[in-house]
Amino acid sequence: MPETIIVTRELGFSYGDIVALRDVTLDIPAGCVGLVGANGAGKTTLLRLLLGILRPAAGAVWALGHPVPAAALAVRSRVGYMPESACLPPDQTAADFVGYAAELAGLTPRAARQRASDVLGLVGLHEERFRPMGGFSTGMKQRAKLAQAIVHDPDLVLLDEPTAGLDPEGREEMLELIGRLEGFGINAVVSSHVLTDIERTCQWIVMLDGGGVLRSGPLTEISATDEVSVEVLGDPAPLAAALEAAGAAVEVQGRVVVVRAERADLYDLVRDALADTATAVRRLGPRRTTLEDIFLRGTGDLRKAKDLREAEDLRKTEDLRKTEDLRETEDLRGAEDV
Amino acid sequence: MSEGVIYDLGYHPHEGPRLGRAGAVRALYRDGLRRTLGLRRRARAKVAPWGLLAIAILPAVAFIGVAVFTRQMGVNEVEFFSHAQYFDLTGTIALLFIAAAAGELLVPDRTNGVLQVYASRPLTTGDYLLGRAAALLTVVFAFMELPHLVLFLGRAWVAEEGFGSYVAGNAAVLWQTTLACVVYFAALAPPAFLFAVFSKRPALAAGSFVGAMLVLSPATRALVTEAGLKPFGLFALQEHPAVIKDWIMGVAGRRWVPQRAGYDPWVSLVVVMVVALAAGYLVVRRYRRPV
Repeated sequence: MPETIIVTRELGFSYGDIVALRDVTLDIPAGCVGLVGANGAGKTTLLRLLLGILRPAAGAVWALGHPVPAAALAVRSRVGYMPESACLPPDQTAADFVGYAAELAGLTPRAARQRASDVLGLVGLHEERFRPMGGFSTGMKQRAKLAQAIVHDPDLVLLDEPTAGLDPEGREEMLELIGRLEGFGINAVVSSHVLTDIERTCQWIVMLDGGGVLRSGPLTEISATDEVSVEVLGDPAPLAAALEAAGAAVEVQGRVVVVRAERADLYDLVRDALADTATAVRRLGPRRTTLEDIFLRGTGDLRKAKDLREAEDLRKTEDLRKTEDLRETEDLRGAEDV
Repeated sequence: MSEGVIYDLGYHPHEGPRLGRAGAVRALYRDGLRRTLGLRRRARAKVAPWGLLAIAILPAVAFIGVAVFTRQMGVNEVEFFSHAQYFDLTGTIALLFIAAAAGELLVPDRTNGVLQVYASRPLTTGDYLLGRAAALLTVVFAFMELPHLVLFLGRAWVAEEGFGSYVAGNAAVLWQTTLACVVYFAALAPPAFLFAVFSKRPALAAGSFVGAMLVLSPATRALVTEAGLKPFGLFALQEHPAVIKDWIMGVAGRRWVPQRAGYDPWVSLVVVMVVALAAGYLVVRRYRRPV
């Protein structure tokens, strides 16, 4: 079991009447963690709670073993944050600002200058490091934002929508950089609503929806299904027919046959069907689903649960109203009696 | 044949010291100094601070030049202006300087979203404001005291009794001007910060602060002297530090609005302290909001 870097217990936060997070309980291991959810799901709120910028309304949160916000300063000296919105002064050069960001994290001025130069080289801004950042493209700004987040060699970096506003090429480069962070010894929490980005870079997924946790676990576990996918060479029809005859549910997608059956020996069934129909197989294995499928299915379930809960609340309210009406009627009757 | 060496220029973890919160506040302070003086910025950012400094020092340098020239001509009785009178010029320039610097220190951090970076570093809101205020105090103090130091040394240089005797006999001027500089800072910087935290542009913050201060003096003067509404003398915010400065330097006279309204110098001191505390409280309160 890898080391746990973030722990939350029944964490809740509201902006006035709007509930941003509720009952969030998580144990997040070291590595690259994807925080996914639609806009307004509570991703940024969770990141801000981790930094101690916001104070939890309910529950508790620990980052790198420290309670937040009680030990927020200790956490912040070992954490980097790349905000989603703009955070770069346009009149400063990248070298000055990133060096300053390192000094703000407690590095000596000399070390800060050296690391700023190194990290700007690492993110591909070595040539542009003495240019004012006001003239940077969106891609360069995102890289400068990443540089200020990792310049002090943090143990954990929180990246809020790191690929926002980037063109396909810029997105590729940013994802490649994020993918390298673990090799530098930097754990990352990547918040994004672009699920394919998360699939490419993260090993652990936390799905948020409507302020609650939809799923949390390793990507391999989350994306695995109880279905078997068989890609064949040639016509898949005989294989599909054999499997259907054996009682399995079958779906043919081009040369891929997806087999579904609630039985432990599903692979044996497929093997026998392949042998019986003399079908040549190219690939055989568990069918993996995309995060998008999981998310859409999950949000659907959650919405259903929410609708049910709301319907239940509505029923209770109506019952209460009826009871109150009854009581008022009885009170009135009583008053009349008097 | 020489052996080649391959250097890995990839990522290297930082193994040096981490100075924590104290280091972060010092970084803020240094950045504040640079920003106030326009250092490591474009040339136009340097024009205002260095131009104002030149204007503040120029009279002292001119005085010394004239005094040296007239002494060579055999005229020794050259009397220009006192340190208290010099404050009337440097105080006005300090007002302009503080107005510009306060906006420059606080507004861009907020409008450019840099507060998010501060929020991810080992700093509190108090540390942030302390670092900024300390930088402003340092520069304002240097800005106001340097012309007086030049004037003092110039006077000593051309003094009939000799340099050493003049310095020994007038050393009190140094602590008096030092204290007066701190009073000017305490009177002007907190309200300037208050204007800056509610403005979206540094120039707007500076303009509205200077405008408010410049309007208050003639308005309160008219209300006190023409209409006889003496309590309005308390609202002549720009003039309270001048009253205290005269008090420190032992200058008699009732030329300032609070004095015309009949208030003693200690009342001006109380007003300065109350305004500073109130403005400071409002500034901190403004920054307490989530970033």
